[in-house]
Amino acid sequence: MSVFTVDEVKKTFTNGEVQEQVLKGVNLSLKQGEITALVGASGSGKSTILTIAAGLQPASGGVIHFDGKNMTNMSQEEIRKIRATEFGFIFQSSHLVPFLTVEEQLVLMLDVSGTKMKKKEQKEEVEKILKLVGMDHRKDAYPASLSGGEKQRVAISRAIIHKPKMLFADEPTASLDSKRSKEVMMLIRDLTKTLHITTLMVTHEEEMLPYADHVVTMKDGLILEGA
Amino acid sequence: MKIAWKEIKKSKSRFIILGSIVFLVSLLTFIISGLANGLSQDNAALIKDMPEGQFYMDEDADETYNLSKINEDTQDKVLKDNKDAAALSIQMGFVNDADDKQQSVAFVTSTDSDLFESVGEGEIILDESLKEKGIKVGDTLTNNQFSDDFTVKGFVDQKKFSHSPVAYINMENYKEMYRVNEMQLLFVPDQDKAQTIDGLQAFSNKDFLDTIPSYSAEQLSLNMIVWFLVVISGMLFGIFFYMMNVQKIGLYGILKAVGVKTSYLFKMMWSQMILITLIALVFSVALSQGFAMFAPEGMPFHLTIETTVQLSVVFVIIGFIGATLSGIQIKKVEPLQAIQQGEV
Repeated sequence: MSVFTVDEVKKTFTNGEVQEQVLKGVNLSLKQGEITALVGASGSGKSTILTIAAGLQPASGGVIHFDGKNMTNMSQEEIRKIRATEFGFIFQSSHLVPFLTVEEQLVLMLDVSGTKMKKKEQKEEVEKILKLVGMDHRKDAYPASLSGGEKQRVAISRAIIHKPKMLFADEPTASLDSKRSKEVMMLIRDLTKTLHITTLMVTHEEEMLPYADHVVTMKDGLILEGA
Repeated sequence: MKIAWKEIKKSKSRFIILGSIVFLVSLLTFIISGLANGLSQDNAALIKDMPEGQFYMDEDADETYNLSKINEDTQDKVLKDNKDAAALSIQMGFVNDADDKQQSVAFVTSTDSDLFESVGEGEIILDESLKEKGIKVGDTLTNNQFSDDFTVKGFVDQKKFSHSPVAYINMENYKEMYRVNEMQLLFVPDQDKAQTIDGLQAFSNKDFLDTIPSYSAEQLSLNMIVWFLVVISGMLFGIFFYMMNVQKIGLYGILKAVGVKTSYLFKMMWSQMILITLIALVFSVALSQGFAMFAPEGMPFHLTIETTVQLSVVFVIIGFIGATLSGIQIKKVEPLQAIQQGEV
């Protein structure tokens, strides 16, 4: 069953008097526990559809349904709440908070998502997730002392610590070498399957596609195949 | 706000710089405020130490107390109607000590009143600052306008007028010295609202202080400096937090993207601002109070805890406003912008 659907979503950017339509009516249907990879050339609109789906920018037209609710009718505050509680994000760069340790990054996310936990429970949960991503030995480290791969693992654990229903990943392996990229992709796949998360991922790396359940190709603001 | 403290700990030098600036500006403000207060005491302690009430002077005196002459009938009526009221005169002058050395004083005389020293004819009571000039109880002082001598009866604590020590003399001696029969002023204590008295103009204590030549000009200049420093500190906060916020736009965007409320980011900034300001103020208050204790003799420095607390509260408020105005950027940050920016 689809937990997330995108129907005829359009996006037009206006630059002075010039209007550019980057999405011309995109349809997507995402199922629980599956990874959908969006691929396409630069400017095809794949990152735009991901950010619109994630509630980071509004669509110019069309409807997005998440968990049976129409997101296009929601207020900014309602969308923020969904982002904090139901969505997880992995970005191209890890975007960790530079003055927080690995453990504190995750505790902050638990606080933001409003997860009602005592301090001790929070620590246990953080320990569990860090073990899952193989970073429990670095819980007291600051981002500056982590390698690119380690940072991305922490970013993944931050994205899933509050048990989101949706995971949005924008080129999660772009800043990593091929060995680390494969490790990260295996991790995303394992977490999607074990935690029954619905994952929408943008990538331009063909080697990452075998890890996805569905591959959707975009061109010039339209779905070419695979939706 | 643990996250705010975490950032301060991790970016110590940045916050130490801000704290040092606030410390220096607030210390300078306290010192100048202490000097302004000290000069104000030096200029008008005689008036400032009096209870709140109303001063009355001749309408035709053009708000200049030493041109004022209170009609004797009016004076009698006011003193009769107001039990605690007093008629008084103040004139700048000098006395010569036993070595014939001239000392500037402000002669003050009044009708019988608890508000002024009671002195008999030929007696004089002086401000204690004249003790340092070698004058003692029992000394004989002279004045070329007075036919007799004055005998020093005692000293009073901190009674100054127009930067000169006050010298209380008897009314009859005063009348002889200045060849007048009328008093210059009437003072009615504990009177919130001025009475309408024919031919007289009423002044509150504060308004009367402004009629003292040089008082308002002196205080205005010093208070201007104090308030400029307060405003500058607010601007410093604004500029500093603006620059920090510009550097953190990426971080704010990411935090917003993952669902952090804008109000949470503001609270983080406010916590940092309040913590830094309070620490800086603790140091500057301690140092300025220390300076008050060890200020060189003769320096007119008077800094009360009350003034320090009031200025400290103003500093916190102005810092809060400065930081909040600079934080408007936080509200404008778009998560998407941050994601496209790369590493924070």
